Amino acid sequence: MVRQLARNPLSLAGIIIIFIFAIIAIFAPLIAPTPAGHGDPYLIPRDGYWATPQLPSEEHPFGTTEGQYDIFYGVIWGTRSAFRVGLVVIGIVVVIGIILGSLAGYLGGVIDEVIMRITDIFLAFPALILAMAIVTVMEPSLTSIMIALIVVSWPSYARLIRGDILQVREEDYIEASRGLGASNARVIIRHALPNAIYPTVIMASLDIGAVVLSAAALSFLGLGAPEGYADWGQLTSFARNWIVGPSADPLRYWFAVTIPGLFILFFVLGWNLLGDAFRDIFDPRLARR
Amino acid sequence: MLLLIPVLFGVTVFIFGITMLFSPIERASLYVRSARQMSNLPLIIETYGLDRPFWEQYGTWVSQVFHGNLGWSTVVHMPVWDAIWSFLPATVELAIFATPIIILAGIFLGSQAAAHKDKAVDHLSRVAAIAGWSLPTFWLGLVLLMVFYGYFRGILPPDRLNHQMSIVVNSADFVRYTHINTLDAILNLNGPVLLDALRHLILPVTTLSIVSVAFIMRLMRSSMLESLGKGYILTARAKGLAERVVINKHARRNALIPVITVSGYVFAGLANGVVITETIFTFKGIGWWAAQAATRLDIASVLGFALFNAVLFVGVNLIVDILYTRVDPRVRLGGVMQ
Amino acid sequence: MEDLIRIKDLTVRFYTYEGVVHAIDDLDLDIRQGETLGIVGETGSGKSMTALAILRLIPYPGKIESGSIVFCDKDSSGELELLKLREDKMRAIRGNKISMVFQEPGAALNPVYTIGDQISEVYLLHRRQELGCRARDRVDSLLSDGNGLAAGLKRPFWRWQSRLYSKIAEEPRAVEPRLLNRTPLFRRLLWRLRDEASRLTVNMLKDVEIPDPVRVAAEYPHELSGGMKQRAVIAMALACSPELLIADEPTTSLDVTIQAQMLELFRRIKVDRGASVLFITHNLGVASEVCDRVAVMYAGRLCEVCTIEELFLHPLHPYTRALLDAVPMPGKELQTIPGALADALNPPPGCRFHPRCPSATPLCQQERPKLKLVGKDHMVACYLY
Repeated sequence: MVRQLARNPLSLAGIIIIFIFAIIAIFAPLIAPTPAGHGDPYLIPRDGYWATPQLPSEEHPFGTTEGQYDIFYGVIWGTRSAFRVGLVVIGIVVVIGIILGSLAGYLGGVIDEVIMRITDIFLAFPALILAMAIVTVMEPSLTSIMIALIVVSWPSYARLIRGDILQVREEDYIEASRGLGASNARVIIRHALPNAIYPTVIMASLDIGAVVLSAAALSFLGLGAPEGYADWGQLTSFARNWIVGPSADPLRYWFAVTIPGLFILFFVLGWNLLGDAFRDIFDPRLARR
Repeated sequence: MLLLIPVLFGVTVFIFGITMLFSPIERASLYVRSARQMSNLPLIIETYGLDRPFWEQYGTWVSQVFHGNLGWSTVVHMPVWDAIWSFLPATVELAIFATPIIILAGIFLGSQAAAHKDKAVDHLSRVAAIAGWSLPTFWLGLVLLMVFYGYFRGILPPDRLNHQMSIVVNSADFVRYTHINTLDAILNLNGPVLLDALRHLILPVTTLSIVSVAFIMRLMRSSMLESLGKGYILTARAKGLAERVVINKHARRNALIPVITVSGYVFAGLANGVVITETIFTFKGIGWWAAQAATRLDIASVLGFALFNAVLFVGVNLIVDILYTRVDPRVRLGGVMQ
Repeated sequence: MEDLIRIKDLTVRFYTYEGVVHAIDDLDLDIRQGETLGIVGETGSGKSMTALAILRLIPYPGKIESGSIVFCDKDSSGELELLKLREDKMRAIRGNKISMVFQEPGAALNPVYTIGDQISEVYLLHRRQELGCRARDRVDSLLSDGNGLAAGLKRPFWRWQSRLYSKIAEEPRAVEPRLLNRTPLFRRLLWRLRDEASRLTVNMLKDVEIPDPVRVAAEYPHELSGGMKQRAVIAMALACSPELLIADEPTTSLDVTIQAQMLELFRRIKVDRGASVLFITHNLGVASEVCDRVAVMYAGRLCEVCTIEELFLHPLHPYTRALLDAVPMPGKELQTIPGALADALNPPPGCRFHPRCPSATPLCQQERPKLKLVGKDHMVACYLY
């Protein structure tokens, strides 16, 4: 499978992109060291308190944004935040989805109906709007964003797993397994799930990008990480006031707007390419002749 | 279709459940109808029985909702219900322009990509689709503003209308039939207002559409490819039909079926996108209002907005289901298979 | 008997991811007027590809490398080289002079259009002039018979319709009707064409013995049973009275009882319409019921071509013999053909069958045996003869 991934230029690009981001995240303290005695490394160090962003310079490779937060530091440590949000949310959501989806799909009956109705209720809300409501109700912070996104995302996975389990349940090898005396749990875990896993993997890798996008959007609106936290969405929100520079040089503060956004774009792009590649591999119908 | 009722019921219970996380004083704003009432919250608590058991309160709340009382929006100083209806026209205006673009562009581009599989058009569209799908909407909006408003000196500005045009629109001569600026301008036969409104619409509509166009395009492409691989396509060719007819008449109709099922999600995507897009372009629609409310922790507004969206979404899904049965004869309601 | 189709040196190759597949290798075959020729072989022998090659519908990544397929059209100018024909002229032949019936009727029918629509489509495409004639005649009779106020008001409209349909009947390339057909809303004005096509469709459905044809024409494919679907597909193929009907395993997916009815239908087609049938199957029993002559194919090449009686009485090629032996019979031990099917990517040199042949000689490995005439109307490609 790794060979297949490497063959396709687009998926190769995706893997490389994610790899680069992973390196940045792991080596963040080395790439953008926290000044001595600063405290929480996720709070971006400030070089003064003026509002006007400063152009990139030796000291600040990507410049500073409103309030003199160093952009370079922000985007580097922001990579860690992005990975944290993406992996934690999707990780938990997949687990919840597998548990509830398997129960619903395999046991059927009342349990299935109840779980399905509950997912219907959650799915009746457009995702961002429900997340927004949840974050508003809890105190806005990065953690509440993660909780909100978990609450919003799990229904799709539960449905997906349930659908796959339903399909697989009717297959002969499940009958055979039960004929040999396997218990319900065993059948689910060893037989039904491995086949249901492929669409889940596809959806999960596409969703990591989507989750990070949503988290960034919420942070951008001011509902996420506190001001000055190393988070890409948060950084972009500073740029709102600096879209247009002085009339002589309207694009003066481009770096404040563009750079954090580019990081988000490429991060999500990497995961999307990977998910697309997974889809091409796992979906035999679209395979080349 | 009957499943809608428990879902709507569940939705209301869910929203209400969230409100119960707050103390009676905080919840009071959900029942307030005027500024005067806001200053007398203990009375509200009395009137609506906000210290009674759960189900009693639920009943009170639901009946209030049916009477149009969704509470008071501290952000815009008016009842939530009124706020929704006063900001809705702007959002509808965006939707009117965005929806046909999304549908037509997505379907057209997707068909072209499928018809020219593995050629330049296909690869380009695939890259464009993935890029579009990965774009943070808010960032795209900011960059577009930066370029078209900042760099090009205000060719495409934010907000709905210029200052002058706003005055015109709010004056006595201009009759506001729908509060949708473009429609009103047409109905009032006012060219300058129409042009100005359109100018202000270009950027928000583009920002709003891009992600959805990318999504539809990819779906249409894979759906067309699947359709083109089916047996009836070979039959159609064996009948001597021109390739164009084969694709347009036979393949496309089948390929549209999955796209229609997905249009509910597109609507949800639009609802999400509207919140961000309107905020960036200061386009005062319900998305803008909701975002403002969320930042100021105006619970009544946010929850009212969520409820409104949920009901709307359920309605849209119902329509999509009906459309789906119209298009795919295999799924006709009450059909009997041999 | 004259030839209807003459295939010479046909070679079709598939350029796949894994390598080049020789689907058909230097094939020579003739289909005669009014006969039912069967092509018998296992999966992968190239029989379906031969059919698709005649209609030039070989799917990507396949290519017709070389050869010639000559079609001797009864009514028109004589001989047409199908492989060199311009695409629009080829389209005029497909569904019209040569048509095809596929194996899975369920897959061959488009699920979102009614049966009637799909059959009418063929009439609207290939018999437009005739439809225009009929429509004009109908309008003309309205004009001459119509009495009363209602008729009087509609007269100018009818006169215009009459002119319109005359144009279609006489000048197929006339601008006005073509323009109308292109514009979505005004297309409805040509409804009489569709009406006439429906009448012809219902007649056709009656011909293929579908009960209650009017109702069936309004139904969708999923509402019909397998046998009915196949009849509908046959109706679609026979609509324009083709000179050659190609049937690719038409009975394979049907129940045995329905199969028998279907074969009776094919027999009738030949008699009633004088069409030739190219009947592709892997089932010798079915072939014996319908075919006059049979061609046996293996690994893209012809092994033997002879009449159906000769095939059963005097099978010459070892492969043919093995096929006949392999038919299970009560009391007889089950015979199989040893070895595996020839590898499509790397076929054996010389005679493709030699690794599995009980009478193979060293010569068989070296050079490919050519088709030789042995006896009256019996050809074999084997060094034994």
